[in-house]
Amino acid sequence: MIIERMLLVVTLLACFQTRAQEVEFGNVSKEELMETSYAQDSDASAAVTFRKQETYLLSSNGILRLITEVHERIKIYNKDGFEYATEKVNLFKAGSDKEEVRKIKASTYNLEDDKVVEYSLEKDQIFDTAMSFNYDQVKFTMPHVKEGSVIEFTYSISSPFVWNIDEFRFQRDIPVKHLMAELRTPKGFNFRQTQKGFLILNSKKTTKQDHRLGMEVVITSYDLKNIPAMKAENYVDNIDNYRSGAMFELVSIDIPGTPYRSYAQTWQDVAKTIGSSSDYKNDLDKTRSFKEELKTVLGGKTDQLQIAKDLFKYVKDQTEWNGLDGKSFQNGIKKTLKEKKGNAADINLLLVAMMRDAGIRANPVILSTKDNSMPFFPTVDRLNFVIAHAFIDGKDYYMDATEEFSDINLLPVRDYNWGGLLVDNHNKVWKHITAIKPRKANNIYALDISLDSEGYAEGNFKSRLSDHSAYRFRENFKNRDLDEYLNEMEQRYLGIEISDYEAGNTDTYEGMVTEKFVYETENGADVIGDKLYVHPLAFLRMDENPFKLEKREYPIDFGFPFRDRYMVNIKLPQGYVVESMPENVLVHLPNELGSYKYVVKKNAAGIQLSVTFDLNSAIISATNYSELKEYYNQIIIKGSEQVVLARASNEHNQSTAGSR
Amino acid sequence: MRHLILFLFLFSYFPGFSQSDDLQIFNLKTELTNNANAIVRLDEMMVDIVSKKEMVLKRKKIVTVLNEAGNKHAVAFVGYDNGKKVRNIQAKVYNALGNELEKIKEKDFKDVSAVDGGTLYTDYRYMYYPYTPVSYPYTIELEYEISTKNTGELPAAWIFLDDFLVSTEESSIHINFASPELKPEIKELRLENLDIEKVVTANSIQYLAKNIPAIKSESLCPSFSELAPLVRLRPVNFYYEGFDASIQSWNDLGIWMSSNLLKGRDELSPVTIGEVQNLVKDVDGTLEKAQLVYEYVQQNTRYISVQVGIGGMQPISAIDVDRVKYGDCKGLSNYTMALLKTVGVEAYYAHVEAGNEQVDFEDDFPDLAQGNHVILAIPHEGSYYWIDCTSQIHPFGFIGDFTDNRKAFIIKPNGGEIVRTTSYLNEQNQQLTKGDYTLQLDGSMNGKVSIVTKGIQYDSHFNLTDKTEEHIKKHYKNFWNNINNLHINSYEFKNDKKEVVFREDVAISATNYASKSGDRLLFAANAFNKNKYVPGRYRNRKLPFEIQRGFYDEDQTSITIPQGYSVESVPETMTLETTFGTYFLQIKEENGQIVLERRLLVKAGEYSATEYGAFRDFMKNVSKHDNSKVVLKPIL
Repeated sequence: MIIERMLLVVTLLACFQTRAQEVEFGNVSKEELMETSYAQDSDASAAVTFRKQETYLLSSNGILRLITEVHERIKIYNKDGFEYATEKVNLFKAGSDKEEVRKIKASTYNLEDDKVVEYSLEKDQIFDTAMSFNYDQVKFTMPHVKEGSVIEFTYSISSPFVWNIDEFRFQRDIPVKHLMAELRTPKGFNFRQTQKGFLILNSKKTTKQDHRLGMEVVITSYDLKNIPAMKAENYVDNIDNYRSGAMFELVSIDIPGTPYRSYAQTWQDVAKTIGSSSDYKNDLDKTRSFKEELKTVLGGKTDQLQIAKDLFKYVKDQTEWNGLDGKSFQNGIKKTLKEKKGNAADINLLLVAMMRDAGIRANPVILSTKDNSMPFFPTVDRLNFVIAHAFIDGKDYYMDATEEFSDINLLPVRDYNWGGLLVDNHNKVWKHITAIKPRKANNIYALDISLDSEGYAEGNFKSRLSDHSAYRFRENFKNRDLDEYLNEMEQRYLGIEISDYEAGNTDTYEGMVTEKFVYETENGADVIGDKLYVHPLAFLRMDENPFKLEKREYPIDFGFPFRDRYMVNIKLPQGYVVESMPENVLVHLPNELGSYKYVVKKNAAGIQLSVTFDLNSAIISATNYSELKEYYNQIIIKGSEQVVLARASNEHNQSTAGSR
Repeated sequence: MRHLILFLFLFSYFPGFSQSDDLQIFNLKTELTNNANAIVRLDEMMVDIVSKKEMVLKRKKIVTVLNEAGNKHAVAFVGYDNGKKVRNIQAKVYNALGNELEKIKEKDFKDVSAVDGGTLYTDYRYMYYPYTPVSYPYTIELEYEISTKNTGELPAAWIFLDDFLVSTEESSIHINFASPELKPEIKELRLENLDIEKVVTANSIQYLAKNIPAIKSESLCPSFSELAPLVRLRPVNFYYEGFDASIQSWNDLGIWMSSNLLKGRDELSPVTIGEVQNLVKDVDGTLEKAQLVYEYVQQNTRYISVQVGIGGMQPISAIDVDRVKYGDCKGLSNYTMALLKTVGVEAYYAHVEAGNEQVDFEDDFPDLAQGNHVILAIPHEGSYYWIDCTSQIHPFGFIGDFTDNRKAFIIKPNGGEIVRTTSYLNEQNQQLTKGDYTLQLDGSMNGKVSIVTKGIQYDSHFNLTDKTEEHIKKHYKNFWNNINNLHINSYEFKNDKKEVVFREDVAISATNYASKSGDRLLFAANAFNKNKYVPGRYRNRKLPFEIQRGFYDEDQTSITIPQGYSVESVPETMTLETTFGTYFLQIKEENGQIVLERRLLVKAGEYSATEYGAFRDFMKNVSKHDNSKVVLKPIL
């Protein structure tokens, strides 16, 4: 309906005149070609020196298309930059609707004998590949590319999917010197524009009258200069979430003479919109396909939490996730049960439906996973996943039955991405919940070591991992060849030799994981002269800082908060006493983000060490990067300090002397 | 990435016919479930060479997957290209009881391009069905048929095992040939001690193997293809993309390649010929000319793979490469060969198996399926100079660890032969490290170090020259990850391409290098070259191991200690002599300074499983002594 109406309107708009471009195609100067590095970033292997993008709707012969015109010029500084000389355009298709790329024009410019020489891309150098059932790829790589080349291309993409305006991505892994972008939409079709990333975009909104047609268009334009490159580093969930750009979504249609239509203005609107789709409105209460079977599964139980647990387990056991995201059914409840598999919506909505049938207040929660995008603004399109929520005795329970080791209120880490949207049609509650956050894992590592005077040590190791630490352990441990696993562990643990290894509770998703083993090592202490130097944390010490860079531009994502406690008892070799010990310390991260407590003491048998390492937030902002790096540094320094043991006779004599 | 695509496409994925099977899993033999993530219950290949221009492959493959790690061995997948037709593809899935769960018909298969990151275009595609298992174990049965005119694309080998950690219950290949001249040559490898039945008739050959246990990979063990039982197959008289062939020897194959696939591909425009001739006009010697041309190619072209039509075997013509200035290994090698020809330098196109692992061509088995890369051999005074035209940075005549020390196939205009590429042996792979550093009272250090590398060690260092500052700093922080809080104050490189020697001069500093124990300072004297490699421990090592490339490191470091401190103790001098190499470490106090000397030689070689423990002990000892500490105490 809306599309038809829109068609009518836009048919009248016809095409627009393109405005004069700042950089003219083909007008490449000698200076550009002679440039050897990018002024603001000498590390750049290439830079986009100019890009202009215009996206607008166009009607020809009564058919509406979304057109995107691109003009880009790239300077290549060195061989690493050659990869930017290949342009790929992905073109989506659904049935007979296809995106198309037209009017490809491209050239390479080199400086040869002090002259600018242009090499044009020829038609036979453009390759069209049918990648898969839902997309094609047009690809070309520029001729005559070498260090110093400037390449330039223009093309135009024509898309029948007029509602899907792709994100305008401004920031890349190479710097962009000048970027102009423009979106033109017919007045009355209101698109929300949302900016992301750390740059100030200063977009301008103007309207323009097309006098010939007597219609108005809204122009959203950007004019950006010197956009720095952004590259991925350690501990980042999805770098594209932090790159600057703008996203667009249709939020309302307001055309005189037609009823006002509102889409995703607020999160509540989004929840309502999704809630009014048939998957969420009716299908969740269709229970015929499992009603009988559930009776046997639940066997007259009445405790709601217990029922929720049983159903969660039942869905996990009975179905397998096919790896596909989705907030709408791929198979539907009936087929999912029959084939025992489906996408995220099939599985988690099945769980919702079953819980509802059992009388629990259960509802879907829709979200965007970390690998998808960060949901900065109310959006329907960019939410890609759904999980189940139950409200029992005033408490919230979140469940994602797609993964083997997830538990109630222990979701896969990908799901913790700035909350989710509760769609509770029955109680007319549609709201954004920000409180979906990973619990803090609480892990204990205990080590009993006995040491001899040659530096040989043997001992017992025990650990207990909770929540996401247990989850991660189970995932890594599953289907591993034990020999190989121990082999790797021995290497990681500084070459100790492990025997009698046992890992408990690894096949289930509930409760904690336990580990224990016996070990021996020739490197239990450094024997230097007649003294022994011992690392009290032994092989559990951290010896390399994961944060090596001087600065960081986006947050550090640990996945979940945790507390690691280490308890070590060291029995000294016969005839040795403690000559010196590291000092106790307590280190804090600002804003209670974390703390490290190190306490070592002597006791009758030897030495006792207790270390508590807390990291209280899954995500730490880039502004705290240097403190975090220093925090780890302090931890490593502390771990490197040694206890010095000396033969008892001297020490003993001295102390006896002292006491007289 | 830069490999050529040979006939290998279908190497382990081919067609089948049918019989009824008992697919329940309760009576699996333990010898087959041992160390196995999946069991190939049946792998049947029927090859029908109907005529020189018609071949039909039928395959039926049934795999029982025991756990998640086994899924990758049971993908319903078939690769093909324009020269092949896939027919009658279907798959069935069974549960543990042998009941059919799902039937996958031809139309359910997805058909996708095999284009990847390093390839601009290829017509190679594959059909696959992404099955999501609902429980384990389960069984997938895949059947398909492929027909082609290219009898040259006979499967290059039949391997009776799928992979590490996969066992085989039954595997067979049956080849029918319409006439004796279509009979393929066969070479058996590692079939001893296996339950194998071989049946040969006037127009067929058949191998049937049963109950082969899975092999488990161990560190430093030979590659799977050197451990698995297999028969190599090669057509003698065949047809390939418009060309007939009759191959008895490598010499025949050389003649066939040069008179068919390479013929006429070396034309160049007069402009380019003039340009190259002008480039070398001032030099005389063959090598000098060749070097100039090679450097010209390095500066003006780049590696991009485009595989169209018979692009899998035939290079893009030189004139086309010249037009766009890019190409794959075949195109760039052929182009360089053509350029060299115009200046009177003879060079030969050579097939080689590239990769860090050294894999030889078989002397007595001439076929096109061996190898995955093309390089050039330039004959000069009785030996060959090898160049890899896909590299824009390697010195002339230096091929590094990508194609070193292995038998390759050289194609000459009037023949072909197998020749070993350049080897870089033990001491030739050298690293000399000279440095000094000063320790401060607070445990921090600062110093300078120079690293000079040659041979294979050159190969892993010299590409730093082209990297960005960010990359270089990251490199050193990893290279010296034994030094925390490392700061790179400056660096300078000298790349001597003529002698193939790379020199790095680096100035560094770090806080907290020495740690405090009471009032003493402790630190590892060897800061700049600590051995990090200790091979894993095996409770029961089964496979032999090999060290493919030896190396030799020599270090000298002098250390200035803080004022007011004296040396309390230094480690004793250590010498280790083993079959696998030698190690020497000496740390002395000299005039108030500490002087370290270290030498480590690791020798290339092939060793038995029983020697593994001794090798591990050697490397463990090296690591241990590399870490030995010096203790300083305050002078009172």
